[in-house]
Amino acid sequence: MTALLRGLLHNRKAMVGFALIALIVIVALAAPWLAPYDPGARSGRPHQPPSLDHLLGTTRLGQDVLSRLLWGARTSLAVGFGAGLLITAVGTVMGILGGYSGGRTDDVVSFLTNMVLVVPNLPLLLVLAAFLGQASPIVIALILGFTSWAWGARVTRAETLSVRQKDFVKSAEMMGEPRWRIMAVEIFPNLLSIVGINFIGSVVFAVITEATLEFLGLGDPRAVSWGIMLFNAQKASALAVGAWWDILTPCFALALLGIGLSLLNFAVDEIANPRLRTGGRLGRWSALIKAGEGRL
Amino acid sequence: MTRPLLSVRNLTIDYVGLASDFRAVDDVSFDIAPGEVFGLAGESGCGKSTIAFAISRLHRPPALIRRESRILLDGRDVLDLPAEALRQFRWREVAMVFQSAMNSLNPVLRVEDQFHDVLKTHGERDRSRRRERIAEVLRLVDIDPDRMRDYPHQFSGGMRQRIVIAICMALNPKLVIMDEPTTALDVVVQREILQRIDELRRRFGFSVLFITHDLGLMTQFCDRIGIMLAGRLVEVDNAATIHDAPKHDYTRQLWAAFPSLHAEHGA
Amino acid sequence: MPFLLRRVLFYLAAFLVAATINFFLPRLMPGDPVQLMFASAGNAMSPENLQALKLTFGFVDAPLWQQYLTYLQSIVTGDLGRSIKYFPLPVTELLGRAIVWTAALMGTATIVSFALGSLLGAIAAWRRGGLFDVTVSVGAIFATSVPAVVTSLVVLFVFGFTLGWFPSGYAAAPSLDPAFSAAYVGSVLYHAVLPMLTLCTVLTGGFVVTMRNNMINLLGEDYIVMAQAKGLSDRRVMLWYAARNALLPTVSSLAIALGMVLGGSLVTEVVYNYPGLGNVLYQAIIARDYPVIQGQLLIMTATMLVANFIVDVSYVLLDPRLKRA
Repeated sequence: MTALLRGLLHNRKAMVGFALIALIVIVALAAPWLAPYDPGARSGRPHQPPSLDHLLGTTRLGQDVLSRLLWGARTSLAVGFGAGLLITAVGTVMGILGGYSGGRTDDVVSFLTNMVLVVPNLPLLLVLAAFLGQASPIVIALILGFTSWAWGARVTRAETLSVRQKDFVKSAEMMGEPRWRIMAVEIFPNLLSIVGINFIGSVVFAVITEATLEFLGLGDPRAVSWGIMLFNAQKASALAVGAWWDILTPCFALALLGIGLSLLNFAVDEIANPRLRTGGRLGRWSALIKAGEGRL
Repeated sequence: MTRPLLSVRNLTIDYVGLASDFRAVDDVSFDIAPGEVFGLAGESGCGKSTIAFAISRLHRPPALIRRESRILLDGRDVLDLPAEALRQFRWREVAMVFQSAMNSLNPVLRVEDQFHDVLKTHGERDRSRRRERIAEVLRLVDIDPDRMRDYPHQFSGGMRQRIVIAICMALNPKLVIMDEPTTALDVVVQREILQRIDELRRRFGFSVLFITHDLGLMTQFCDRIGIMLAGRLVEVDNAATIHDAPKHDYTRQLWAAFPSLHAEHGA
Repeated sequence: MPFLLRRVLFYLAAFLVAATINFFLPRLMPGDPVQLMFASAGNAMSPENLQALKLTFGFVDAPLWQQYLTYLQSIVTGDLGRSIKYFPLPVTELLGRAIVWTAALMGTATIVSFALGSLLGAIAAWRRGGLFDVTVSVGAIFATSVPAVVTSLVVLFVFGFTLGWFPSGYAAAPSLDPAFSAAYVGSVLYHAVLPMLTLCTVLTGGFVVTMRNNMINLLGEDYIVMAQAKGLSDRRVMLWYAARNALLPTVSSLAIALGMVLGGSLVTEVVYNYPGLGNVLYQAIIARDYPVIQGQLLIMTATMLVANFIVDVSYVLLDPRLKRA
């Protein structure tokens, strides 16, 4: 675990990713102080271009885009991390349960996992969300959590199968430790980097999918979130009428959050699997070759 | 001794790290005469395979061959060869049998194609003449040439390693490197493979660099043996001397590690 | 072939799951499911038509299991009900018309970005640590982490509105009649440029990352080192020894990526007003046209299963170890 943290501190991708996410988190937390207007209130004329009064312009309804962006960060982050946590939790439990138990339990878990993987995710979410009516961010997070765990479960199960063979698991079994304890205390800590990658990946997925569902009209139009901003801007044909600030602002924010999370994810992946690395010692190697210290 | 075929001088290889390097091979020098079988022994991680890879220049970053190193084959420094000359040098002069018999052949290409590409790249343009040559070398290792259209997974481990040896013979190389060629195989197959190599060597006169951690096997098979410890070559001598009167402590320890056959060497 | 047969049985089971979800979902909701599903029809539908629609979805006066069987029966006979918004257009017809566009868009984009991404990923892995690798890897991270909604809106803004190089919507110029004429086909291709560009941008990055990882994990294998020792050209070793083998796990990950491809193309179609499934669905969601929303799950699941099966078959073709002699 400390090795992972030390690795992250030395990884350029991780640091840039951290910085981006930290920026968004701080902005989200400070929204009440930073936002110049009430995000829901009409504070100017419709579709005003950026000006000193409205730094990022106004929406079709005359709301301040900057204020909506700042408050919306809260929703996107909350759904992203909440749903990401749920997805990871379900996936990890299923994966460890299947991988460690083997036999009939594993068959059932694997079958379920493959089934969920093969039924397309977005259409399923659309049906669920449509029947639930206009889904609030919390409902979206819950649906995501219970429909998107399969990928994580598959990866975790594969890793559990190899950890299960290790001596410390065998010896814990010999000593008669209860099964839940072996899974929670002996196996789980050895899966941390897989779980970490799964978690960050799930957060990215949840952020993207929430925005997508809301953009497609399944969200609650009164909520303040980046997906709803996109939905309203698209409905108001913002691009066609030249109000690019209305639609590109949430685009930019979503891209930034996605990139920050992905950089972090790739960094964890590189630390868990050093062969994937691009920089570091290879840079030193090239320098030595150039200096004539050696060859291949 | 006649002029050596292979002459390794001051070979030093590092694995470059972020701050400091790991020295895998440290100032190693040895010669192999034409037609000679030279063995390199030592426990895993002592650098013997790193030497084998360096001779055909197969290393990838972050491995680094330090500049004072020389690898002379027939008087030519392999480390100085430019890219195209190196490509032509590989396999024509030095062929290599790798550790895992199960994994040396590309699983998705027919056995035939893995002969064709090596013959073609080294100048044989005519497909039917290549076919004849493939059949010829497959017969050398007792594989039915009719099976050249099969895929690797359709052969047993021992047969696959014989196919690799046949590929080695395709261009009549001067040196064949065998990097633990029999570790993945059972004892009977192991012996059969080694006898086959010895037979071919007598017939075609190539030299062999034989790498293994199995000192017992090595003394039966090699003319001279070098013992490696932590990247250094600690003792080089005739096989008989290494067997009967080892000088270095580490060589004696290696013998002592053999349970039954060589118990008399116990410290 | 037992492997493929097992897959087919599995896919049938998966389809049944999707149908079952469709059946139970309205019945699990609070309130009257019939009321819920057909509320948007209002008074526009005659009682006979409503009765027929209820029958299709298994709303009959019988125990639940008989309702379930009735519903399954209508699916098996290809009856997915009628659209409420476009009554009396059958759902199969509405979606069938749309799916042609989606399949063409999705299929082409998948093939193009799979080929391009795998090639770039293979070269990046081969030259690991070099400038090419760093550029491609970082580019891939950016491309995969930006949501498809965002990419399509930005591409539309830049190329459609600001530069005005390509049309900003529809599959063909509305003035042209669909026909096999040069003008119509040309117009279709011209209109497909931006959606294709969007989808390829979104998809290529993922394939780059998968291929690069798979290939790097293979580079230490003995058969690749041996290929180099044989004096083969770098190109031959990279393509026929390393990339050819790294393609196997990449293809099997393609099956999972297809879900993302589908999601991406739905969104892209909405942004570009493209007449595919995405757009039909968007309209259906706004109108709460439940028969269409339910129908799309079945049709998309079926499409995914067929695509998965194609991936299975190509996997068998690519890996000689799975072929029976």
